[in-house]
Amino acid sequence: MISDNDLLLYHYGDGLDAEERERIRIALATQPQLTERLRAIVAELDRMRTPEVTVPADVEQRWQRALELANSERPRSRATPRFQWAAAATACIALLAIVIVNMRETSAPSTPTAQTVPPSTAPRNEHGLQWHLASTEQQLAAIGEASDADRARLVQTVLEQNRLFAAAAERAGDERLARALRAFAPILQNLAEPQAADAAPGDLAQLSFELRVMQARLAADSPAASDPRAVTL
Amino acid sequence: MLQLLSSWLRPDHFQSVLKERGGRWFNACLRITGDADLAADAVQEALLRAWRRRDEFHGRAELDTWIHRIALNAAIDLVRKRKPQLHVEIQEDVVANLAIATAAISPESEYAQEALGKDLAHALERLTPNERQAFVLKHLEGWRLEEIATSQHTSVNNAKQTLFRAVRKLRADLHAWQEHA
Repeated sequence: MISDNDLLLYHYGDGLDAEERERIRIALATQPQLTERLRAIVAELDRMRTPEVTVPADVEQRWQRALELANSERPRSRATPRFQWAAAATACIALLAIVIVNMRETSAPSTPTAQTVPPSTAPRNEHGLQWHLASTEQQLAAIGEASDADRARLVQTVLEQNRLFAAAAERAGDERLARALRAFAPILQNLAEPQAADAAPGDLAQLSFELRVMQARLAADSPAASDPRAVTL
Repeated sequence: MLQLLSSWLRPDHFQSVLKERGGRWFNACLRITGDADLAADAVQEALLRAWRRRDEFHGRAELDTWIHRIALNAAIDLVRKRKPQLHVEIQEDVVANLAIATAAISPESEYAQEALGKDLAHALERLTPNERQAFVLKHLEGWRLEEIATSQHTSVNNAKQTLFRAVRKLRADLHAWQEHA
């Protein structure tokens, strides 16, 4: 007896050993009803190939701007890598702070909802974010002096912290803060690469661009979002 | 050859691939995430990674394949980071768009097609994120089971079982819809 699962794997040409494949091949060649069964399964699953949706215009524009900025900023890079490191670190932190402050200002008035953490926990969470900012600033400030290996390690640590806060924001239902924090990950990852001093201006441009996109989105959003103070670890 | 490579580096060529293939990347990621914002993020991440490594690509097809794959992996990562939600819900506007697009195929049976479009979208919605990924990556994207297992940080056998569960659920939903219809 050949199961539907085995028939499907045969169709995919994957997940069966040679002996099983041969057994199914012979069975299909001799049993028309089995061939029909396989055809029907595949036809059913092919119905899940739903037609494609159009990419929203603002998304397309965002991708194109990201590429344009990455292209236009990258060439001016080689003069003073150490200075660029310091500038990159400072700008990263400044922008991160602006994003978070901006998100707080555009968030809902503190009406309690079922998803928010009780107000008593908010100061602790706020402290957590402040600590993350301060700690990130401190660690990135030293990055210009670091060796490639140390720099990679430092950035990895910052990335881990950033990931934790993004996950915490997700858990608290604060998708906007989570997205803001996640937007920093690729740029931070870039800073960890040995040749990253050259890339810093381009990354900063990208960061600025993501900030502007986020600000535009925040401005467009209704103020009914969850309270960012509800972030817990 | 050098000329070919240097001409390939021009941003307008990169942009034209984006224009031509961006929709396909976006839709592939959308099927994985069920969330238009996450899908857009995944494509942007892949684009920027590709831009940084643009010297390594030797043509449109290679760039397209590379971005498509990286975007899908980025989409899987974004869904994984959202894991506490367990079931990623397809946005209502995405469901509506799918229904409209499906209806456009067969205007004479608009109502039935719209219902089917919604039903198919909701059938995918009822899968767990891992089941949905396994089905989309295998049946629609043609990935190998090993590749799916790697992207899901699991064994090939687990990926296979996840795929079987997804197929079983989808077929059950389709049968139910056909009986209704």
